[in-house]
Amino acid sequence: MNLLQLALKNISGNSFRSGVVSLCAFLVAAFALTTTLLMRGAETSLRLALDRLGADIVVVPAGSEAKIESALLMGVPVKFWMPEDNVHKIAAIPGIEAVSPQLYLATLTGASCCSVSDMFMIAYDPLTDFTIQPWLEQNFGDDLRLGEVVGGSYISATEGDQNIKIYGYLVTLKANLEPTGTGLDQSMFFTFNTAYDIASKSATQADEQLVIPPDSISAVLIKAAPGSDLYALSAHIMREVSDVTPILSSNMFQSYRQQMTGLLKTILVIMAITWGLSIVLIGLIFSMAANERRKELGVIRAIGATRRFVFQSLLMEASLLAFAGGATGIALSVLSVTIFRNLLISSLGFPFLLPSPAVLFLQIGIGLVLALFSVNLAALFPAIKISRQDPAIAMRE
Amino acid sequence: MIKLDDIIKDYSLGKGSSVSAVRGVSLQINPGEFVIIVGRSGSGKTTLLNLTAGLTRPTSGTVLLDGINLWSLSDKQQSHLRSQKIGFVFQFPSLLPTLTVYENVVLPTVFSTKLNPAQISERAKLLINQVGLGEKLVAFPRQLSAGQQQRVVIARALMNQPEVLLADEPTSNLDERTELEIMDLFRDLHLSLGITIVMVTHTRQLVSYGTRAIEMAEGRIVNGNHRE
Repeated sequence: MNLLQLALKNISGNSFRSGVVSLCAFLVAAFALTTTLLMRGAETSLRLALDRLGADIVVVPAGSEAKIESALLMGVPVKFWMPEDNVHKIAAIPGIEAVSPQLYLATLTGASCCSVSDMFMIAYDPLTDFTIQPWLEQNFGDDLRLGEVVGGSYISATEGDQNIKIYGYLVTLKANLEPTGTGLDQSMFFTFNTAYDIASKSATQADEQLVIPPDSISAVLIKAAPGSDLYALSAHIMREVSDVTPILSSNMFQSYRQQMTGLLKTILVIMAITWGLSIVLIGLIFSMAANERRKELGVIRAIGATRRFVFQSLLMEASLLAFAGGATGIALSVLSVTIFRNLLISSLGFPFLLPSPAVLFLQIGIGLVLALFSVNLAALFPAIKISRQDPAIAMRE
Repeated sequence: MIKLDDIIKDYSLGKGSSVSAVRGVSLQINPGEFVIIVGRSGSGKTTLLNLTAGLTRPTSGTVLLDGINLWSLSDKQQSHLRSQKIGFVFQFPSLLPTLTVYENVVLPTVFSTKLNPAQISERAKLLINQVGLGEKLVAFPRQLSAGQQQRVVIARALMNQPEVLLADEPTSNLDERTELEIMDLFRDLHLSLGITIVMVTHTRQLVSYGTRAIEMAEGRIVNGNHRE
């Protein structure tokens, strides 16, 4: 028999006490990890979405700022238009390196001519695009042909091997983009030509025609020249082009960031209270346990245990309970976040992406360390007190 | 050999006041003796036993075990010495409730032992058989009677082959018949192993089991150092 076996025997012999301590460790670890996964995941999502956008400034029709954020973040389909001529006006502004127009479209709701309902679709101009086109050239050395599409990570072929039906038109899924955790994962990208082809054929093939107003676009993506002042550029665009709003990519998703910050603050306060209460509760439980076992620990000292052994045995019990509770909490947290990811996204109202395995393992490790630290911190004072007690006095009661 | 020299033990009652449990006791116990210390409750006999084992620090005086001053040792050295040289039998139920009979008996070897695992197992089983509980190896303390529990405690006390067995009112919670059985066991152990036994009791009738009786009252030895 050794220290570990003794601690295990004590744990199994005091199931209620052990259960409560483990539960506290469970709550601390699960809450901490879930919060970290959600908040870090949301941050990563926003960053990836902006990277995917690849633009310094996005120009949309005035009043469409919230819509574009919802579309890019949550995949909520939007339709808004502005004159195509705006592209040339913007391109002529000094300090702008590249501009590229986009069309924002959506599939029909519950129509037999569309494989997927309410899907956000983005049509781009392959001649000017700096978002999808470079990725295609880098990965496939090729452009998208007429009728070909690139899907977000969640898009899969529903008709035959590689086909998806949109407005009665079969498009071919050429590739999937890396996941971002945002609405872009449930969106589809194709060229202007494909968009116009779908629109023209939808008149006869679809339940409802896809209408793209002539000489219209939805947004203009801007890449600024190196060293340009983005605020000055935005102001310039506002002056030169009427009825549009330039959104700096650094300001993109501001409302979501504010919402997240508010939520983060609330969660941090709840987490601090839970942590504090757990520490107090575990401390009380260990104090009560140490007091209840005073005589027993006095006996152990009398038959040869050192103060150090008594101290170590109490902390060993604390560590085992913390590990068991913490590991269960972490496993459940990871499982819940993975299984209920979509539910969490829709109920919280912001996207998030699960971290890479390496980052996940790191976060799991931090969660376990937090659980171990918390329980040991709470058990430390009772352990020190009881281990220093005179065995004769401990046995007297 | 145990030697206590002018031992005083005061307990603080707070606010500057204290009570003397042991008042200037000097005592020598030679190897192989069976010393029985008698006295009324509060006479200081249990405190004297605890002082003998180094379980509480004397206010003044020295405690020597085989010539070693217990309080000149570190906690580790003192615990090691206690584990190797002293076996304890307590007045109260002192078995660990979460351990079986076998696990309780081998418990002292967790802290220090000269035996290898096979020897530990063999000796534990032998001792449990000797105290008549060979059938109860995997029983838990709650499944044993008070007398059986005290037998297990005696087996545990002997596990590390100590030189001295200290017993604090080992029969006070037992009925008369079980008390006699336990006392017979002590006598047999003393005779067969030649182990030094120091036993504290308030029952004068048990004095006949020992080779020497010491009577304590108000923290002092009032009648002792005579051999029965």
